Amino acid sequence: MLSLTHVTKVFGSVIGVNDVTVELGNGAHGLLGPNGAGKTTLLGLITGQLRPTMGQIRVFGERPFANPRVLRRIGFCPAADLLERRATPREWVRYLVRLSGFGPRAAADRADRELDRVGLGEAMDRPLSTLSKGMRQRAKLAGAMAHDPDLLVLDEPFDGLDPVARHDLVGLVRRWAVAADTAASGPRTLIVASHLLHEVEALHAGLAVILGGRLVASGTAGEIRDMVETMPTEIRIRCDTPRRLAEAVCGTAGAESMRFEGDDLLVVATRQPRALAERITRAAVEERLAIGEVVAADQSLEGIFGRLVRLHRGVAS
Amino acid sequence: MSDPHSRQADRSWRSTDISSTLAVTGFQLRRMLSRQRLLLAGLGVIFPAAVMLAVRRTVPAGLDRDLAVTMIYALVPEAVCMLGLLVTMCPAVADELERGTWIHVSVRPGGRRALLVGTYLAAVIWTSTVAILAAALAVFVAGVRQPWPLIGMLMVLVVLSSLGRGALFALPAVILPRRALVASVGVALVVEYLAGFIPAVVNQATVSLRLRSLLVSWMNWRRQLPVEMQLLIDPQPAWVQITAVFTLAAVLLVAAVKILEYRQFPPSTEI
Repeated sequence: MLSLTHVTKVFGSVIGVNDVTVELGNGAHGLLGPNGAGKTTLLGLITGQLRPTMGQIRVFGERPFANPRVLRRIGFCPAADLLERRATPREWVRYLVRLSGFGPRAAADRADRELDRVGLGEAMDRPLSTLSKGMRQRAKLAGAMAHDPDLLVLDEPFDGLDPVARHDLVGLVRRWAVAADTAASGPRTLIVASHLLHEVEALHAGLAVILGGRLVASGTAGEIRDMVETMPTEIRIRCDTPRRLAEAVCGTAGAESMRFEGDDLLVVATRQPRALAERITRAAVEERLAIGEVVAADQSLEGIFGRLVRLHRGVAS
Repeated sequence: MSDPHSRQADRSWRSTDISSTLAVTGFQLRRMLSRQRLLLAGLGVIFPAAVMLAVRRTVPAGLDRDLAVTMIYALVPEAVCMLGLLVTMCPAVADELERGTWIHVSVRPGGRRALLVGTYLAAVIWTSTVAILAAALAVFVAGVRQPWPLIGMLMVLVVLSSLGRGALFALPAVILPRRALVASVGVALVVEYLAGFIPAVVNQATVSLRLRSLLVSWMNWRRQLPVEMQLLIDPQPAWVQITAVFTLAAVLLVAAVKILEYRQFPPSTEI
């Protein structure tokens, strides 16, 4: 469906995407990364708005840039707000569907149907300027989906929305992703770029993590967790005598580094957190140490993402 | 491949392109129906007539027909058309970037091409309509004898001016979208009003030479012109001038489309 081979995109002296190699098949995929990580540039390359400086991109087996055969099968919802304020959602979506090659009547039917589906049936004749951001976001989604694409690419589709609108749109996209697996027209692909991990998790999507223009991890949420587990993880132990505890665990249980924070906190980095926890328990009994709290690194996707960011930035884990 | 795509594949590229281009033209014309644009259009219609009225009041015996035609030509196919196209054609790409609509259009098959050609057609229709109304009003206000043939001639000149100069302004619109207005004013001054008045090969590629030559030809002024003025017109027949404008417009538009198809606008949030 989609493959990138050593793709690099440079803008002057700024590297937008750096040597990315990834293959994405059918189904849902989440592209995760903080703001400025290169997600939008990567999506620009996939959707044929940008040409790679180096490397090769294939979407449906072809180069996407300025390629109508590929663009015909892509639906894209960009992150930027829609500032086309005088047009109504109905006019806007019809316009986009016509630009996808449909005649006026087919475009009208598809636009009305899609606007109904995203919940804008009542508001489709109001100017976009009078709609809330959530409603404009729905109009953008309708524009991306109305021509029935095989590849749907959404850039920060839930950004800036209130919780209700966010919940609704996550549901909408999830339904598209589920339908994509069983679509009569054949399998389809969804790519959602976001820095809000729980929303991507809610889509049950495969993950690709991008940082500083580089792809630092990809796979299922479980695979990424497994990968992260091989990296040093931090155990934070609150104790009345942290220096005695440090002596007890030093050089054992794969403790790779230690530091003290304040008078009562010991932070140990290890690749064997389970063994370290056992050693701490033993030390507490043998040395009669009062352990107040033991906190392992956050194993949620949010925590893993945070650790990948810190590792990438060279901050000790 | 899904049904809609199969259906689309059956349609020829040409019909898809035409449909997309017409969609853009309709969308742009609806955009132009804003209060500000209508006010501007009203001013464009009234301004030449107001000038002619002011001039006519200074000549109680009535304006000389040739002088009136020269003035209306300078005011309408030159000034009004230029200004109309500067307002409508120059922001062809910049407007889309500002409104956040470029990214939606550029990911559609043939969207870039349709955007430019469709905006060009909308600009030509809008400017020609305003300029034709302006010309007709100015002719009647000037009190010229036999106004209808004159209005017919001015209509043709207005349409040719809009077609040629719209295509000329398409180039700055795609090369320097953020500074298209300034660049287009520069192009108008250097190409149309400097190169266009140089009696050399270079003026053959300007719209102003073709329009002047048509005006002189259709008004039968050639024999009255002093020799030095005859250097500023092309003596070839009208069909050559008209073909030259169409050819020039086609070449410029194709060049602009090709440039736009390969332009990349980096995501500003990331760089």
